[in-house]
Amino acid sequence: MSELFVELFSEEIPARLQINARNGLKKNIKNFFVDNQIKFNENFNVYSTPNRLVLHVDKIPNEIQLSSEEIKGPNVNAPEKALEGFIRSNNTILEKIFKKNTEKGEFYFFNKESRKIKVSDLLEKNLSEIFKKIAWNKSMKWANYDLYWGRPLKSILAIFNKKPLNFDFNHINSSNKTFIDKSLEEGMKIFNDFHSYLKFFKQKGILIDQDLRKKIIQNKINEIINKKNLKIEQNERLIDEIVNIVEKPAVIVCDFDKKFLNIPSEILITTMQSHQKYLPIFDKKNNLTNNFFVVSDIKDTKGFVKLGNERVIEARLSDAEFFWEKNKTQNLVKQVDKLKNVNYFKGLGSYFDKIQRMRKLSSLISDDFLISKDKIEIASSICKVDLMSDLVGEFPELQGIVGGHFARFQGFDKEVCLAVSEQYLPNGMESKLPKKMYSVALSISDKLDSLVGFFGINLKPTSSKDPYAIRRMAISLVRLIVENEIKIKLKDLIVYTCSVYRDQGYEFDIKKIQNELSDFIIERLKNYLKEKKIRQDIIESSTFLLGLDDMLKSYKKSLCLNKNIKKEIGFETIAAYKRSLNILNTEEKMSTESLGFADPGLFKNDYEKKLYKKINEIRKYFLSVGKDENYEETLKILSSIKKEVNDFFDNVIVNDEDIIIKKNRLELLNMLCKTFDNYFNFSKIEA
Amino acid sequence: MVSKIKKKTLSFQDTIFNLQKYWSKKGCVILQPYDQEVGAGTFHPATTLRSLGPKPWKTAYVQPSRRPTDGRYGDNPNRLQHYYQFQVLIKPSPKEIKKMYLNSLSSIGINHEEHDVRFVEDDWESPTLGAAGLGWEVWCDGMEVTQFTYFQQMAGVECKPVSVEITYGLERLCMFIQNKKSVFELIWNDEGITYKDVFYQSEKEFSAYNFEYANTDNLFKIFEMLEEESKLLVEKKISLPAYDQCLKCSHVFNILDARGVISVAQRSEYIARIRELTKSIGKVWIESQS
Repeated sequence: MSELFVELFSEEIPARLQINARNGLKKNIKNFFVDNQIKFNENFNVYSTPNRLVLHVDKIPNEIQLSSEEIKGPNVNAPEKALEGFIRSNNTILEKIFKKNTEKGEFYFFNKESRKIKVSDLLEKNLSEIFKKIAWNKSMKWANYDLYWGRPLKSILAIFNKKPLNFDFNHINSSNKTFIDKSLEEGMKIFNDFHSYLKFFKQKGILIDQDLRKKIIQNKINEIINKKNLKIEQNERLIDEIVNIVEKPAVIVCDFDKKFLNIPSEILITTMQSHQKYLPIFDKKNNLTNNFFVVSDIKDTKGFVKLGNERVIEARLSDAEFFWEKNKTQNLVKQVDKLKNVNYFKGLGSYFDKIQRMRKLSSLISDDFLISKDKIEIASSICKVDLMSDLVGEFPELQGIVGGHFARFQGFDKEVCLAVSEQYLPNGMESKLPKKMYSVALSISDKLDSLVGFFGINLKPTSSKDPYAIRRMAISLVRLIVENEIKIKLKDLIVYTCSVYRDQGYEFDIKKIQNELSDFIIERLKNYLKEKKIRQDIIESSTFLLGLDDMLKSYKKSLCLNKNIKKEIGFETIAAYKRSLNILNTEEKMSTESLGFADPGLFKNDYEKKLYKKINEIRKYFLSVGKDENYEETLKILSSIKKEVNDFFDNVIVNDEDIIIKKNRLELLNMLCKTFDNYFNFSKIEA
Repeated sequence: MVSKIKKKTLSFQDTIFNLQKYWSKKGCVILQPYDQEVGAGTFHPATTLRSLGPKPWKTAYVQPSRRPTDGRYGDNPNRLQHYYQFQVLIKPSPKEIKKMYLNSLSSIGINHEEHDVRFVEDDWESPTLGAAGLGWEVWCDGMEVTQFTYFQQMAGVECKPVSVEITYGLERLCMFIQNKKSVFELIWNDEGITYKDVFYQSEKEFSAYNFEYANTDNLFKIFEMLEEESKLLVEKKISLPAYDQCLKCSHVFNILDARGVISVAQRSEYIARIRELTKSIGKVWIESQS
């Protein structure tokens, strides 16, 4: 049993490309072993530092045995040349060829004997192809070469069974050597196995394993913040990026002048996180402190790293302070007109046009939400002004948030300010959700306006492409509605949005948009439910009859059934329904000829009467229950039919000789199903 | 008694000298700044045009770069409408370029073993030049001091072979070396002249010109005239004079942009016009190279 150990050394590969390459290499190598039926340790790993992409697989046999196989050649009537070719390509002689009858006629055959193949030979033949197949998100060329890689590739070390593998990957020959010094690309050293390689670099403080780097960084950070009673924000993405831009991480605590804490904290945090990859530090009450972590790739023995980074943050924060002081006093209302010069989207007018639409839309929504029309109209009017500020120019990711701060500074109503801040939220599945009604109203108007607009100019996402993140917009809309438990007539709102566009001179096909957008949003609801780990059959059932205006109901009812499906109230409800439906399904005619009710005068026994009575009780329940329907209670009531249903099926034969009696019994079961449909259509639930 | 030996601070001009000497030893043609207003060292024809076509080329030069919108009347310690870049271009990109670059830092007193020198992903794109490249910004203890780019495309043409471009922001670099918080405090030479002595008035006056006084009506006309001239020269197949006109167009556009008289829609239109010029000039240049 042997190990395969490969290192691809290059100039610094960006974090996300490293992750991309690790996954690609892992997949390709796995496919190689599986396709060639070579045993290998499936728990193998691919590691990376910015400069080194490392593959290590062990428990690989040195040889594989290929069993004998009969290889079919040309038809016996084919020209002689074909036979010669067949003999040549199989590296054999005429004497070993034989004829055999098949369904399609008589053919030449050759019996390839079982043989052994060296795995090292296979690897040498295939590795370059395996590397080539890595699908980079972004790759480049350099010098005179034709090779594409994340960044210039400098050397390849490839070892199998402690011996070097020899092959060419484009212009590079593999060897058993690599550079020790990644910076100057100097000091070639021979390695014959993975463990001596790991050990060697570990002694130099270099950690090849990204997971180990992550653990060490996190431990060090936790040690410091626990001691000082502080905390950091759990930002996995940033940590993962940091882990992949260092090879020997050193955590350094730095600080900046406390005076900058007067700038809105989001600006400080963004400067630290996205611009400098620093980790801001908070106190236990979640207030930002003037401390932050820098993860350096070098031990700061002389203090240069700390000093340098502190100067950088000082300069950046001075800049931010300058813009904040300048922008906060620029009157938001007076700037609204200037939005006419800011293009929203080609074919959908300027941001001025957009806020006019949003104002009308949010104003209509305000009636349903019972919030002040004046306030939501003000919020709509000023919400996009910050797009013209220097601060949003510098920090595009803070659009909205910065506007909210301007509004607060200029004395706007508290709810208006919050709505401006939160207008872009939520942004997808994971993001924070606004809870205040003004924020929700503004966010819904923003998203609905965009969705209708993009569908209007036919820029719907395709199955593979969604360049304007329209899916995310729709998922956000779904979340706003269901998680805030909002009852809203979305269908009407879509039509109204279309008409607002039409008032501005846009010629949209309202019917088409309404249909397509409704389907699109329902699809997102289904995805959303799936994310919430709701069973697929429940999702299908819940969206089968309930439409766009009932998203909240679909959501709550699926949630409720999902929770209870294994419990008595869920189980018995479905059993009763399914039992009835199965009988109905065998009598296809029923559905078309149904009267919709059974005639109690035709009942022949108590079981029918009791079931009929019970169904009517449930129907009464549905008539009486209003907006505050408790779905668990409903399931309980539905499941309580268990006794009547069981008694009915145990004692009554639906298929009576008298066709009228039979039909009446089918009507009774049909009533049961129709009554149950008040919850939702259970027919797609798998028992 | 051990006397404390104070290390001499490397002045702004010495920084330039050292870099020039270093890259000269590496075989680069040391050029002087191009005598046109440009937005970055990349616009120098020794980079834009010379990176096109198959012929090998190595050069290094200082290029004053003008970014009218970045003017702050000399009030901001980090932003200038006129600053210096030190530019290196080598085609094809050499194998040991990273080593060459790190050693160039040593030549100006930055030892990469004492500082956190980091190659941070930064892909570069210039819509006006129809150019794109992959590379990094180089951080030194968190401060961006260099852009390091492998050109993939220039003037709309795929680069073959690929050039590597190294652009040092000289002011940033010197602020780092001299440990200054404001660009204006930089020591220019060993006689105590500062950056402020040399450029403060210029920053103040050019900011006023760029933001307040530039005659926009005339500039719009000038743009048209220059564009027409450039197109004419392209027809005559003389690429370098055509490129000069194109550079002037680009600068006029930058001033108009700073004056805030170009709307968003117009903006992309002007950029597209300059790009079209660059592309046609690039074609003429490549033809002239074979």
